[in-house]
Amino acid sequence: MRPGGTGRKATSSLSIFESSVAFGLITSAVLAIASVGFTLQFAVTNVLNLAYGAVMIAAAFAAYAVNQAGVTIWVAALAAAAVGSVLSLFLNRVIYTPFQRRKTSPIALVIVALGMTLILEFGTQAIAGPTNVSYTMAQGPMLQVGGFALSAAEIAMIGLSLVIMAFVHVLIRYTRLGKAMRATAANRDLARNCGIRTDRVVTVTWIITGALCGIAGAVFGMNAGTFGATSTDVFLVLILAAVFLGGPGEPYGAMLGALVIGVATEVSAAFIVPDYKDVIAFVILLTMLAVRPTGLLGART
Amino acid sequence: MRTAQEIGGAAAARTARGASLRTESLTAGYGGSPIVHEISISVAPGEVVSVVGPNGSGKSTLLKGIVGIVEVLSGSVHLDGADVTHRATEEIARLGVGYVPQVDDVFAPLTVAENLEMGGYLLKPKDVPARVEHVLDVFPQLRRMVSRRAGKLSGGERKMLAMGRVLMLEPALVVLDEPTANLAPQIAHTVLDEHVRRLALTGATVLIVEQRARAVLAISDRTYVLAGGRVRMEGTPAELSASSEFVESFLGGGQPAGG
Repeated sequence: MRPGGTGRKATSSLSIFESSVAFGLITSAVLAIASVGFTLQFAVTNVLNLAYGAVMIAAAFAAYAVNQAGVTIWVAALAAAAVGSVLSLFLNRVIYTPFQRRKTSPIALVIVALGMTLILEFGTQAIAGPTNVSYTMAQGPMLQVGGFALSAAEIAMIGLSLVIMAFVHVLIRYTRLGKAMRATAANRDLARNCGIRTDRVVTVTWIITGALCGIAGAVFGMNAGTFGATSTDVFLVLILAAVFLGGPGEPYGAMLGALVIGVATEVSAAFIVPDYKDVIAFVILLTMLAVRPTGLLGART
Repeated sequence: MRTAQEIGGAAAARTARGASLRTESLTAGYGGSPIVHEISISVAPGEVVSVVGPNGSGKSTLLKGIVGIVEVLSGSVHLDGADVTHRATEEIARLGVGYVPQVDDVFAPLTVAENLEMGGYLLKPKDVPARVEHVLDVFPQLRRMVSRRAGKLSGGERKMLAMGRVLMLEPALVVLDEPTANLAPQIAHTVLDEHVRRLALTGATVLIVEQRARAVLAISDRTYVLAGGRVRMEGTPAELSASSEFVESFLGGGQPAGG
């Protein structure tokens, strides 16, 4: 911000800036869960699963059903995780793997994934109905955290996201499974030569990343307020922007990408035109692809 | 030429018990069409056996059939007498077979240390650090590059790491697919004369495919000559060198073209 002008003006634009950053951090928190799951899934399974957003929203509706039965959304999110896992496993076993066995090209598989997006979204709509829904949840008191005013629920969302990032970090850095996942992602044939049963690693990866996708769906629903069966269509573009910004297949890159995209879209919404906030994400993505195609943390040759 | 004493250290690293390998009328290829036909070879425990032959003679396909990457259409593969035909490649690895492919032989985005850890994936986690130390004793040059990304290594260093990676599991049989492909001649000789010898000195049986017939003969106990997907000749280096047919076809023109 340019200094100067009247004191009042400076304060008010500063507070707009601060609150837009706060909004951005919440968006980043949701985006980080979704993007880390997406990038890990892509790296290990080699499938660019564009039906990810559709799985997210189906899982969000599953959490809604449990929430309607009187369970707090924070517990109902576990139902979203379960549905995310099951749907992702289904997509892999019943759709993607048979096509891969027939040597379907990766680009054709992307078209298959787009088709599955429609099938899943309309399937969700057929079951849940065409009207938007909202979780029953308390926002809690407003709290001042580091100069930002956030509700208790929003702080909990950010906290949940941080816990999940820590979980992913420990998983890929320190566990046997995580190492097998990284080896499979880097060079599947060589991983098999190390004795790693990569088919199992891939299956477990669909389960884990499906759960992340499901939780991301539930948190997306909390943050959105109201949502319908097609509400993640634009959000998928934000996920792709965060993933490719960080470098496809790079979990830490996706975290960083989610932070940048989340904050940039909300801050630009406050200072440019709110309608264009998702466009900003895409402008960042296109700039990155032009300047550094491997992404911020991508170093693959 | 170096003696075992000169290579040093590696002799003390003898830990593996070499396995025997035998193929019986092995026919293998891609998508149902055979590339190698009815190949019967045998490798005794601790032996270094090489397979040479012109480009496209099916040398690599033979190895891939043995380690379960290429479909075996007929015939069989026996490891220490047990039939392992049609086993998945990860199961063959679990039986003590370390395979170093010609290309994509390391985890390029991972560091040298991480590559070795991956090689030791089947070990108990608490045994991995000691085993990494052991492999670094066999290939001391790797020690100063442990934290470098494998993708950044030179061709020779990379091949050393690929061999170190398979050593992590104390393999009973090491299968090497053209380890000197795309390497400068001087580096190629280091790989064969030093690195492959170090592998052999661990006690592992070694089956190696090579374009550089003359160089690989020098380190082999026995050699098979493949052409057109079939075994044309076999014998010790001395026997083959005494064969005018072999010398004219495979050694006469000096170094055969690489690739």
